[in-house]
Amino acid sequence: MAASLENPDELDERERTALKTLLKRLADDEFVLAERYTEWQVRAPSLESDLALANNAQDELGHARLWYDVLGDVGLEERDLVYERDPGDFRHSTLVELPFEEGDWADAVLRSYLYDVAEDLRLEALVDSTHPKIADRVGKIRSEEEYHLEHAQNWLERLADGGEGRERLQDALDRLFPYAFTLFEPCAPPRGANEASGDEPRAVDPDVEDDIVDLGLRDATLEEMGEEWLSIVVPYLESLDLELPVDGRADDGADEFEFEVTEAMLPEERGRDGTHTDAWFDLYDEFTHTYRELERTETTRIMDKPE
Amino acid sequence: MDLETAKERAGPREFSPADDLPEEYRKAATRMIEFHANSEIMGAYLERPFIRQAPSIDRKLAFSAKVQDEIGHGQLLYRAAESLGVKTREEMLDDLANGDGKFLNCFHYPMESWVETPMIAFFVDGAAMRRQATLRRTSWEPYAHAMDKVCFEEGFHVKHGEDILAELMSGSKKEQQLTQEAFEEWWPRIIQFFGPTDDKSTHHDFAASVGLKQQSNDQLRNAFLDQYIPKARKYGLEIPDEPRIRERDDGTYEVEEDDLDWDEFFTIAKNDYEPGLDQINGRKAAQEAVQWVRDTIEGDASAAGGHAPQAAD
Repeated sequence: MAASLENPDELDERERTALKTLLKRLADDEFVLAERYTEWQVRAPSLESDLALANNAQDELGHARLWYDVLGDVGLEERDLVYERDPGDFRHSTLVELPFEEGDWADAVLRSYLYDVAEDLRLEALVDSTHPKIADRVGKIRSEEEYHLEHAQNWLERLADGGEGRERLQDALDRLFPYAFTLFEPCAPPRGANEASGDEPRAVDPDVEDDIVDLGLRDATLEEMGEEWLSIVVPYLESLDLELPVDGRADDGADEFEFEVTEAMLPEERGRDGTHTDAWFDLYDEFTHTYRELERTETTRIMDKPE
Repeated sequence: MDLETAKERAGPREFSPADDLPEEYRKAATRMIEFHANSEIMGAYLERPFIRQAPSIDRKLAFSAKVQDEIGHGQLLYRAAESLGVKTREEMLDDLANGDGKFLNCFHYPMESWVETPMIAFFVDGAAMRRQATLRRTSWEPYAHAMDKVCFEEGFHVKHGEDILAELMSGSKKEQQLTQEAFEEWWPRIIQFFGPTDDKSTHHDFAASVGLKQQSNDQLRNAFLDQYIPKARKYGLEIPDEPRIRERDDGTYEVEEDDLDWDEFFTIAKNDYEPGLDQINGRKAAQEAVQWVRDTIEGDASAAGGHAPQAAD
């Protein structure tokens, strides 16, 4: 195992960039997904499902808060990371930024499922992270994510059972699957890191992703996680009689999955590289609205800093 | 049980679904609890956009939790109302969507800006707390029981609202000014929260006679003003000149009723107020958009997220 990256002051440039890149993709995914989930509050199909999804939204927000807080060690505050950040600097997957069409509960539960499986694999690969704060926080987060996955599967199975539910799930799957691949896309380095220019979208730097694994921050590559993700979601969705746009099987009918994502399989906007859909910029304007309107320069903490 | 017996027996938490209560009681209790439940839902509807607009992650979390609590209160209250055997939860929710369900005057007004959030979360919730605290002694036991949990959680909501108010009123000049403007706009509505004065209240006599309602509109309004006028001043808010409020020698307050817009109040009470209709219809559209989900899971009510009609407790 690589040496512990505990002391932020002792990190060299390469280590800092790797740490920031990893944490931003973790935190941004959770933050933006939570932002979308809250759209269902007071709009879900029943009071019970309203409460359940609100719960998941708060869990994801709490996780985002935990990851952003680790970035405090490298001098980044909430205002730098959320409220005063350039929207093009966010590194979340475009899967989480897409808006929900009113009433499209199939999208909500399928998106949760695709995301939560990936999240579970990603957290598993962080359990032994060389950054102690990351390793410490994974445990709490995993225990909550487990319930999210159950919740999503429970709903998927119920919707897949009926005619309209199955049709809507299939529509959502056709639309969301390409975006789900972006969960495993490499990130462009954060602004100001290495030789990255201010041009947008910035070039993806595969070295950063290698560094994340080489430094032991995370012990699986994006490709390995992508392959495992396919081997879970493909058979499961097929078992619900859904048709996968791409299945990733190595040979016809084989149980081996290869994660070969071609340009054609990916959507135009991938998030990780700084390209985003128009909906993201609208969302960003909405969640920074009050902060800008009141000309705030700092964010209010009402809870203690996480340990 | 006949009505006279119900009136004689009426006391805190006196009646439960085991009692055979007269129809007048069950209808009055249903109307009162349904109104309360609807208000939780419409309050949540009004506040939801501010989960997104909150200016920090902690505030966002607190707002999301508050909205979630309110949906939870609605769930509890509909259940307490259902247990009277007059209306099902589905009927009540459908009536709310169709514009037949009644709810608090304050939740008919649109809320557009963050500086307005403490007007609901501090003042309206604070006013609601006054009323709800007395309802822990209401005669319908399931309602009183629901109030135990509701009051506990509302305590946190009022603190959350107070904290936002304190922050705004110690912020920039601009924040303070915008907050004062919002206060002036909301203050008369907040006074009207308690309804017309006792001599004009239509439902009070009966509800009080069977122990459903514990205090009159005037008593509740007084208690609220007594507590909240000093609080508003403490944070630097100026109480508007109108409605004129006079403190009597005994420490109670007299509100000049003619300074308040009762035409608007009664238009709202009939669900005819235009901006409020937008909110009713907005919620209706959201509910209709997920009708297909409810249809899909019908007959599959045992799994998570579904709901069977509640049996009487």
